[in-house]
Amino acid sequence: MNRYILQRFLGMLAVMFVVVTVVFVIVRIAPGDPASVMLGPDATPADVAALRTRLGLDRPLVVQYVLFLGQLLRGDLGESIFLNKPVLSAIADRAEPTFFLTLFSLAIASFIAIPVGIYAAYRRGSLFDQATTTVAMLAASIPSFWLGLLLIQWLAVRFGVFPVSGYGGPGASLATRLYHLVLPAIALGIVSSALILRFTRASMLDVLGDDYIRTARSKGMGEFRVVMRHAFKNALIPILTVLGLTAALLVSGAVVTETVFSLPGVGSLVVSAVLRRDYPVIQGALLVVAALYVIINFLIDMLYLVVDPRVRY
Amino acid sequence: MAAVAADAPTRGQALRQLLRRRTVLIGILILLVIATAAILAPWIAPFPPNRLSIVNRLKPPSATYWFGTDEFGRDGFTRTLYAGRLSLLVGICVVVFACVVGITLGLVAGFFRRLDTPIARIIDAMMAFPDILLAIALVAALGPSLATVIVALGIVYAPRLARVVRASTLVIRELPYVEAARALGVPTWRIMTRHVLRNLVSPILVQGTFIFAYAMLAEAGLSFLGVGVSPEIPTWGTMIAAGRQYVGQADWMTLFPGIAIVLSVLSLQLVGDGLRDLLDPRLRKDL
Amino acid sequence: MKVLRRTLLAGTVALAGVAALSTAPAWAQAKGGVINVATVGEPPTLDPMVSTADLVGIITQHFYETLFTFDKNWKVTPLLAETMPDISADGKVYTIKLRQGVTFHDGSTMTSADVVASLKRWMDLASRGKQAAGFIAGVEAVDGATVKLTLKEPYAPLLALLAFNNAAAVIMPAGKMENPLKEPVGTGPYKLKERKADQYIQLVRHDGYKSRAGEPDGYGGARKQLLDEIRFVPVPDPNTRVEGAISGQYDYVDALPVEAFPRLQNQKATQPVMLKPFGWPVFVMNTKQGIMSNLDARLAVRTALSEEDMLTAAFGSKDFFALNAAYFPKGYVWNTDAGTEGAYNIADPEKAKGLLKKAGSEGKPLRILTSRQYEFHYKMAQVAAEYLKQAGFAVELMVVDWATLTQRRTDPALWDIYITHSPFLPEPALTGILSEASPGWWSTPGRKKAVDAFNSEPDPSKRPALWAEVQKVIYAEVPAIKIGDFNALSAQAPKVTGVDPAPWPYFWNASVSK
Repeated sequence: MNRYILQRFLGMLAVMFVVVTVVFVIVRIAPGDPASVMLGPDATPADVAALRTRLGLDRPLVVQYVLFLGQLLRGDLGESIFLNKPVLSAIADRAEPTFFLTLFSLAIASFIAIPVGIYAAYRRGSLFDQATTTVAMLAASIPSFWLGLLLIQWLAVRFGVFPVSGYGGPGASLATRLYHLVLPAIALGIVSSALILRFTRASMLDVLGDDYIRTARSKGMGEFRVVMRHAFKNALIPILTVLGLTAALLVSGAVVTETVFSLPGVGSLVVSAVLRRDYPVIQGALLVVAALYVIINFLIDMLYLVVDPRVRY
Repeated sequence: MAAVAADAPTRGQALRQLLRRRTVLIGILILLVIATAAILAPWIAPFPPNRLSIVNRLKPPSATYWFGTDEFGRDGFTRTLYAGRLSLLVGICVVVFACVVGITLGLVAGFFRRLDTPIARIIDAMMAFPDILLAIALVAALGPSLATVIVALGIVYAPRLARVVRASTLVIRELPYVEAARALGVPTWRIMTRHVLRNLVSPILVQGTFIFAYAMLAEAGLSFLGVGVSPEIPTWGTMIAAGRQYVGQADWMTLFPGIAIVLSVLSLQLVGDGLRDLLDPRLRKDL
Repeated sequence: MKVLRRTLLAGTVALAGVAALSTAPAWAQAKGGVINVATVGEPPTLDPMVSTADLVGIITQHFYETLFTFDKNWKVTPLLAETMPDISADGKVYTIKLRQGVTFHDGSTMTSADVVASLKRWMDLASRGKQAAGFIAGVEAVDGATVKLTLKEPYAPLLALLAFNNAAAVIMPAGKMENPLKEPVGTGPYKLKERKADQYIQLVRHDGYKSRAGEPDGYGGARKQLLDEIRFVPVPDPNTRVEGAISGQYDYVDALPVEAFPRLQNQKATQPVMLKPFGWPVFVMNTKQGIMSNLDARLAVRTALSEEDMLTAAFGSKDFFALNAAYFPKGYVWNTDAGTEGAYNIADPEKAKGLLKKAGSEGKPLRILTSRQYEFHYKMAQVAAEYLKQAGFAVELMVVDWATLTQRRTDPALWDIYITHSPFLPEPALTGILSEASPGWWSTPGRKKAVDAFNSEPDPSKRPALWAEVQKVIYAEVPAIKIGDFNALSAQAPKVTGVDPAPWPYFWNASVSK
């Protein structure tokens, strides 16, 4: 078992190494010299050359790559060109809205999808099952930014129930900040509920056919108790897995949703960084998000190991 | 036949069973209507797509302008049809690109043990990036244009296919008749194309359909963020982006292209889902 | 000196909002409160010298001040200077008396040493400073409270340049002006408390501020400091700004699409404020290299275009724009029709075709460089492209972000026409296309003669006629095409008073009722 953990851990490190390399390559093939971008149009060629030397851009790519790895090992993601501060602290500044947005959307999506998924599995093939499956697919077909626009138009502008955009301004209380996340979380939650619904249903179907459920039933246990106590409990592990992965996928949706609602999160940071050609920020955000995904994946594997003794490789 | 395909019905049967499902039939019908309308755009569109008519700007839907007009007085219906051509084209090109790259990587990884680990790691690493985020970064690096959006999305989705192909290849490789072919000295590339690819048709078809759907959503997202296709090229995404400024004033500008995206993606998902249930029930948990 | 002041007499800014803004006397207004101002985005810098962006000027004018500024009639008026300067008879020596007891936000007192160092920094770094530097022989401190500027030759636009709020000649403490700037320390009525990039810029009252005596007068006069706090919130998406105004999320919202005007009417939380006219969009020609270096080709472009269609597509109804060939609208002393007859809003692609043939440039690509930072630029580009195609141009639209545009336009090999706009400036000499160094590189004997005569004429009563000559040469040689006049739209909550409509809105006299 320890050997397996070690193997998985080394595997994770290998994936991280590839992630880092991929990011390095993406940023280096970008057109435009970062030095001249940093200095602006008025800079003289001499200024640009000096900055290139300072940033190490005049060295061979291999040397740059080694230096980049060294920097990363020291936890240094570089400096933002536009914001004049370390990339890591720029991302940390923006982490809160993205974190809560992801959490809320996940909560909303689970709140809708898990009960519906359980019931759909229980009534497999019924009208309810077919209808919810189709509606879920419809939800997954809606571009989240389009849904966001509709929600802003209806709930925020026409009825004034929720704030239109932003994150509450300077010194806003936590409650105000969270209130600003309601609409975006709904937009993102609806769109991502489909995956969870489908997975819940499938896992429940797997379990509902098992022997012990039949045994439980034959013992005269109430249907609700059979479904919730026995079936759902056993379907929970795969469902937790998909929740973990959805959380990571939600970051993708957050990129667009944050822009629509002008939320100061990591996603909108990346979009503005692209428009401003702030390559260190793009690079840093890609690394942090991908690293999170890899780590979550690793932890889920470990979780399996703990809760499901059958897993042996 | 092979284990993977053993419980799958033959092709003719499959098609009939597929069409018997109501949802799949609806999906195929919608898709056909949209694709036909897009392809026939130059013949059925009532106006030239770039014809300006400043006096008719921001007109609501009417008998002349079915989907209303935009801020230049261009016909919304015409533009939606023409935009459909590009949106669908982007989707198809992404699928083709992702297939070429993904199948090659998957086959090579599955067949050559020495290359398996590195390729598997690369696939894992690529899958670690959220799709839109990676696409944004790639487009930023390659410079925004129709072609780079296709390449970027192709790179984003290729690993998904590669993973499926690799997993199936690993199974098929060990099958007795493949072993036998190998023992007989049939060249590897021939085994790959002859025996393996043939058995991979269904999973690739299923994945391809979903990639098509995701690619259309992703393209719209990129265009909306202003980091995708150039705004003067009409795609459904750029149309929504342009109409955003007139929400509350000319809602039809965002409404119709939005519906077009939802319908196309929905129909693709319906078809993909039907295909998956029918051809390869084991893939169900992959997505 | 008095003579020079009158030079800058220009049109007043008309207000055509639905509700006239309150002009209640300041003493009746409550002290205290916070105002949330939605701006077009995150400023690239808080150093007003290094940027000509309007946004940088709007924000930094609250914490940095210049020696001079503009009053409500766009006349130059003293700000950190005690009075208007003493100018020697030959127009070459400006002696500027400074106000006493002005303190910086760090508590130190402003002296002539700070002013000299700041002006030198301005001449080194600021684009308008570099423009002036060519005429300046020296800057020196006479005593602790007096500064002397010596010119090589008379230069009429100097005071306007010193008064301007972008690429601005602001006064910084001599010890706190490194480049790039570490922290902004100025003398303004508000000081920076916190900047969270892409979230807000928070300013609080500068308690040591010493206001000028009297009443507010445009950017000049007294600065009341009624509000406790001013918060600038970047909201890059125009539609989100409109919605934020309607929902009452922001007290003042800058730079709205004019077509949102009807949506802002009859709202409880906000009302529209229109600045009419605000500025003019312009197509700048690359006269140095490529297809537009030929005069006939430039004439062909002008002949092909329908300015009316371009403005309608960009701004909607005539409530929001005006067809106007003159470089300054009515009400400005610079308004003149010189040279414009038959040279505007022609929309004759057939005739343009002939001109293009004459230039021998048929079918050659015409690269139009534009961005979507300003949506109306892009819309005008699209309409222009259709008209130019009809005239036989092979139009290629290059849509890039604004930062890229400002970079690319400096390279004559990369573009033929680029699109920009300018607010109506109080001094024509500040107009970009008049400078040989600015992108477009218009440089002909005709330009030199007309512009030099205009810049060196010290007598303000003679300058309008000389400006008419400059405009004539512009129309004859087509270094640029002025598209028309357009209005600007902002929105303001009814509880806010004391904000004068201005191209660069300021809030030191604003107050909010509770």
